[in-house]
Formats: sequence, structure tokens, C-alpha cells
Amino acid sequence: MSMYKKKIITGMMGGLLAFSLAACGGGNAPTGSSAASGGGTSTGSSGGKGTTIELAISKSSQDSIFVQQNLLDAFEKETGIKVNLQLLPAEQTATVLQTKLAVDETPDIVQYNLASATTDLNLERNFEILDNEAWASRLLNKEVLSAYGHIYSFQLSQDTGMQGVVYNKDMFKELGIEIPTDFDEFLAACEKIKAAGITPVFMPFKDNWAANIWPGAAFADYAEKNEPTLFDDINAGKKKWSDVPAFADILQQQYEVYEKGYTNGDILSDSYDMAVGKFLNKEVAMMFMGDWLIQNVADKDPKMNLGLFPIPYAKDSKLGASPLGGQLFIPKKAKHMAEAKQFLDYVARKDVAQKIVDEQKFVSNFNDVKTPELPTWKQEIVDNYITPKKTVLTVDAHMLVDRSELYRLLQDEFAGGTDAKGVLSAWDEKFAQLMQDKGAEGF
Amino acid sequence: MKISRKLYSYYLVLPALLIYCIFFVAPAVAGLFYSFTDWRLDRVGLKFIGWNNFERIFTDKTLLLAIKNTLIFAVVTVIGKNLLGLALAIGLNMRLKTRNILRAVFYSPSILSVLVISIVFTPMLRSDGAINRIFESVGLGFLAQNWLTNPHVVIWTVAAIAIWQHAGFQMAIYLAGLQSISKDYYEAATIDGAGAWTSFRSITLPLLLPALNINLMLTLIGGLKVFSEVFVLTGGGPGNASQVVGTIILRSFGEGSWGLGTAVNTLLFAAVTIIAIPLLIFMRRKEVSEQ
Repeated sequence: MSMYKKKIITGMMGGLLAFSLAACGGGNAPTGSSAASGGGTSTGSSGGKGTTIELAISKSSQDSIFVQQNLLDAFEKETGIKVNLQLLPAEQTATVLQTKLAVDETPDIVQYNLASATTDLNLERNFEILDNEAWASRLLNKEVLSAYGHIYSFQLSQDTGMQGVVYNKDMFKELGIEIPTDFDEFLAACEKIKAAGITPVFMPFKDNWAANIWPGAAFADYAEKNEPTLFDDINAGKKKWSDVPAFADILQQQYEVYEKGYTNGDILSDSYDMAVGKFLNKEVAMMFMGDWLIQNVADKDPKMNLGLFPIPYAKDSKLGASPLGGQLFIPKKAKHMAEAKQFLDYVARKDVAQKIVDEQKFVSNFNDVKTPELPTWKQEIVDNYITPKKTVLTVDAHMLVDRSELYRLLQDEFAGGTDAKGVLSAWDEKFAQLMQDKGAEGF
Repeated sequence: MKISRKLYSYYLVLPALLIYCIFFVAPAVAGLFYSFTDWRLDRVGLKFIGWNNFERIFTDKTLLLAIKNTLIFAVVTVIGKNLLGLALAIGLNMRLKTRNILRAVFYSPSILSVLVISIVFTPMLRSDGAINRIFESVGLGFLAQNWLTNPHVVIWTVAAIAIWQHAGFQMAIYLAGLQSISKDYYEAATIDGAGAWTSFRSITLPLLLPALNINLMLTLIGGLKVFSEVFVLTGGGPGNASQVVGTIILRSFGEGSWGLGTAVNTLLFAAVTIIAIPLLIFMRRKEVSEQ
């Protein structure tokens, strides 16, 4: 090959490389510019009839009430708008949605969890505020759909998934145990159960998030009663997690339950998916978990008599209310904003909402939609905690950063890698770093 | 008669080169660029921040632990997979009635999905699992462990499983190398009075060096890039006890720290290159030919 040809080929190669690099690097410019101009404007929303809107949902949530075929068919029949489902792989839901939002391939509606959306999906930047929607004025409990003082999400139910101690009521009755109201009573109950040859508490801490149920509810209850501005102060960098001695005590309490032998033997090998079986086989009496577990057990055996009481870290603690799972959000850059909002209007309509609420036994969140007769365990939660307002939003609702490192640290406490104070000081470091990365003031 | 020895034109390499540039070179170079920025999920635009991401890697305790674990895993698996693979290859190169079946048996774990292996091993490695029961039944109860939940043991356990899974693959490469060595050398050595060890040291090992090289490279690069074994068996836990560089990259992306994630990835790429290439050159020089 002649030198001339070689030079031409080298030049072409260089050019191609430069072109391909420019193509890769250029991806940011449109993101930035459209983000700046996006501002919640609705585009391409003329008409409605014949339009297809995209609803992105995790594969693990495909039994969600919002994507039931009869609901989607009825909506299409009435409005002519078709809802197309984008089923996202369960383990990659956050990543896929983050990418879609980053590259402006936004679905028109997203089903996600409010607390996670604040940290994973940058709620304020990416999603529409829904305060002024017609259905918003009919809400009984706006708080469960809100963040940063605005309604960002939509749900028919105000039953937010309560967290506390799931317990076998029949077992308690047989052993003559009353619901513990503080930590000493709780330990005494554990001792009695253990003496009867039953594992008092099932800790499936292979799934590290499960270690967060106890502190998640207890931290929030402590803050509400003792330092109402605590989480604001922490999020502003004015206070650290380790500055609150009660937090270390709360973590130590959970560890004490394990240390005293009141749990399953290999807590770091046991996972959450074993929980239903453990209750069905009557191997365990309690578990720090949400009321969804009671529903899961009831689905398998309706005769199982389970209930829920607040985390007994202190007297008169409240039941933890997790920020709702499975709400609908509308991205600011939704291509069919008007049609997406029309879908929410349709689901919120009294007759449609009533039908769903009746079928699902929801605690209605609309003032004109009646709550149907609930299963006993759920009715007790409503009567004893939700109606008298003895619930407190768990700490997840106040956490502005990814929480997975906290979960890992909690797990590490049980692996012997650290202690309660170590968990908090390590989390302080990580939290500060994540807030700093986020550009939060005070860090 | 004049024989034409004209080579194909260089133009023919263009399509492959183009694909390689677009899908490998460009992302790699772009990754290098992003590793010097504060690229984040929740920020519009990005800023050049110099070596900050790399400084953070070397000051963050978890990241340092991940680097340490990666090195432990790489060293242990390189040694384990090669020693076991070589021993199996030598054993199964002998005249055994069952050698074909045994070769298939020892090779089979390497074609299993790591997920399947995780499902099989996880219950066995519980504190009340089969491994500990076996130890107890033979009077070695003191060796019983929480294999996957003891922070001091977990990375070694994962490495042991990786060795178990892949030693058969290394065995296959060593077997191919062994079978290419002419029997004449061994016959001549026997006539000269050489024993088994002398034959192995003076004939087998030198002529097996090409197979050894390829195995060392594969196991070393695989060891440094470890991800799936740790991810499915422990998820980097308990706590962060078994985090490796691969899982840290995933974690960084999950936290939205894309710049940091690409920096860790760049570092891994550099480490693999710096360790593997000189080793490859060194080993190549040691290779001998039968001719």
C-alpha cells in the first residue's frame, strides 16, 4: 500500500473516531437545554382520541390496580386514548427510569414509590406538581401523596403500608401476652414466647432493608415527639445522625433482641421471602415489618390471625406509615401531558374510584368515595391508629439521598462489623457525601 | 510460474474497525473523560473536577476495602484455578477408564450460570447447612463457619466457589496443552533415568507454558473484573464486607454518582492493563517451542 493511501486511511480513521466521540459526548447538550426549557409545558397534547400514552411500571408491580386490563379498556372506550405499558425489569427499574428521564425518553406516566422517587428520580426536577388537579381537592390525606409541600403523586388509597411489629394474635392469646407498650415489656414477651419453644422474632436480614423497619419507625416517632425539626436540621447539615443519642439507643435495642437469642439463628442468611412460610408454619411469633406481610399471609391462609402494633422502643409510640408505594407520577416532559392527566382524572372519578376501592378493600383517600368493609386486621389498624392519627411517616419520607448504604451498615451491625454508634457515624460520613454530591446547602 | 502473493486490501478492515471504534474505543475514551467530571444523575450539565473522583476512591474506606477484596479474590483464584486445573489435567491425561466421564464432570460447573451456583451453594453454606454438618460429622466441628455472613471469611468463600466453578475450564486448556506434547520426550527422559518430577519440571512445564500463559491471563483478568459471583452470592455483604470493584461501580451508579462510577471503572481498566500486559510480555518470553 502506498504512503498516500495509508495517509488517507489514517485520516479517515481519525475522522471517524472524532465523529463517534462527538456523537457520544454530544448527548448532554440536548438534555441540558431541554431541561432548561422543559418547565412542565405540555407538548403534543392536542386531541386525545387516537393518542397512545406510555405508562412505565416495574415488572414486579404488574398486578397494580392502575394497569388492570379492564380499567385500561374502559378508559380507552370512553376517551379513545390507549394506554401502552412499558414493563421495566424489576431489578433495573430505577436505572432504566433514571436513564429515560436523563435522555428525554420520558414515559407519560410512571408508577413508582414516592419516597424512592424523591431520592432516585429527582422528584422536583423531573415531575409535575399536581396540587391544582380537580381530584386533589377531594383528597382526605394529601400528605401521603406529597413531598416538599406539593402533591406529586396519585393514589386512591390512603393506607400507606403501616410498619411496626407483625404478630400472631392467637399465639399471644395462648401464652397470655398483652401487646407490649415499651421495650422492657417487649423483651418480657419475647422471653415468654421463647420459653414456649417458638422463635419470638424473625429477622430476615439477608435482605438488609428489613433491618430498617425498627429504626425507620422509631427514629421518626422520636423526632416527632422530641425534636420536630430534627430531620430538617439534619438535611440542612446543622445536625448529624450521631448527634442524637436516642438513635444509637434505638439501634442498640434491635441488636439486643438478636443478642439475647430471641431471633432465628442465622439472621443474615434468612431472607424476606421466607417470612410468610415462617408465620404459616407457626415457627415465629413476631417480625418487624409492614402490614403487607399480613396480607401476604392471609392470601395463603385466611384463618391466620395476625395483627400489627407499633415498634415498642418507648411508651406510646406510633405506628410507622411508609410513604405510599405504587403511586402514579407525571413527568414534566411527558409528551402527552393532557392525556396523562385525563387518565388520572378518569381513575379518580367517583364511580371508577369506588369500584376499585371496593374491589381492593382500600382505605379510601377521597372524601366522596366510601371505604368498604375491611378485613379485621386492617380495620383494627384503621380504628386504632389511622383514625386517631397515631401514625407517623417513617424516616424514609425525610431521607433525601439513596438509603442503601444505611441498610448495609445496619446489616453490618449484625455481622459484627460495627456497633450502633459506628453505624450512625459511618452513615453521617456517607450522608454528608451524598448530600454534598447532590449540591445540598450546608454540606 | 509467478505466484501472486498480493494481500487483501486494508479497506476490508474498515467495517470491523468502525464498529470497534464506535462501540468500544469511543465509550472507553468517553468514560475516561467523564471520570474527571462531577457527572451525576440529579444535576444538569457537568463540571470538570480534576482528580477529585480518584482522590475519593483512595480515601473512602469502603472503596479501599473493595480494592483489597478484589486483589485477594484475583490472587486466590489465579492460584487456585490454575493449580487445581493443572492437577486435574495431569490426572485426567493418564490412562483411566473413566477419564472422559471425569473430564465432562469436572468441566460441567464452568458452563453453569452463576445464579444456579448461588442457589445451590447458599443453603449449603448457611450455619446449619450441609458444609458445616459434614465438618461436624467427621469431628471437624471447629471448622464450621458462617461462610457467607462472617465478614472475615466471606470473600474467601466466594473465591473458593469461583475456583470450584472454573477450575474445570482451566483444566480443559491445560489438557489441550498436555496432549500436544510428544510422547517421545518422555520416552527419551525415561531412558535417561529421569523421574516423574524431573520429567514434569524439564518437559511438561516448559512445553505447557503457552497454556499456562493463556490460563494466567484469563484468570487474572477475570479475577480483577469479578462481579457476578459476589453480586449473586452476597451482594457485597454482609454490610460492605465482600464489596469488590465491580460491585462498587454498580453501587456508585445506583447512588447517581456516575462520574465516580466511571472513575472506578477507569481505574479498574488501568489496573488490568498495567498488571496484565507486562505479565503477558514476560510470560511470552519464557515460552519455548518443540522445534
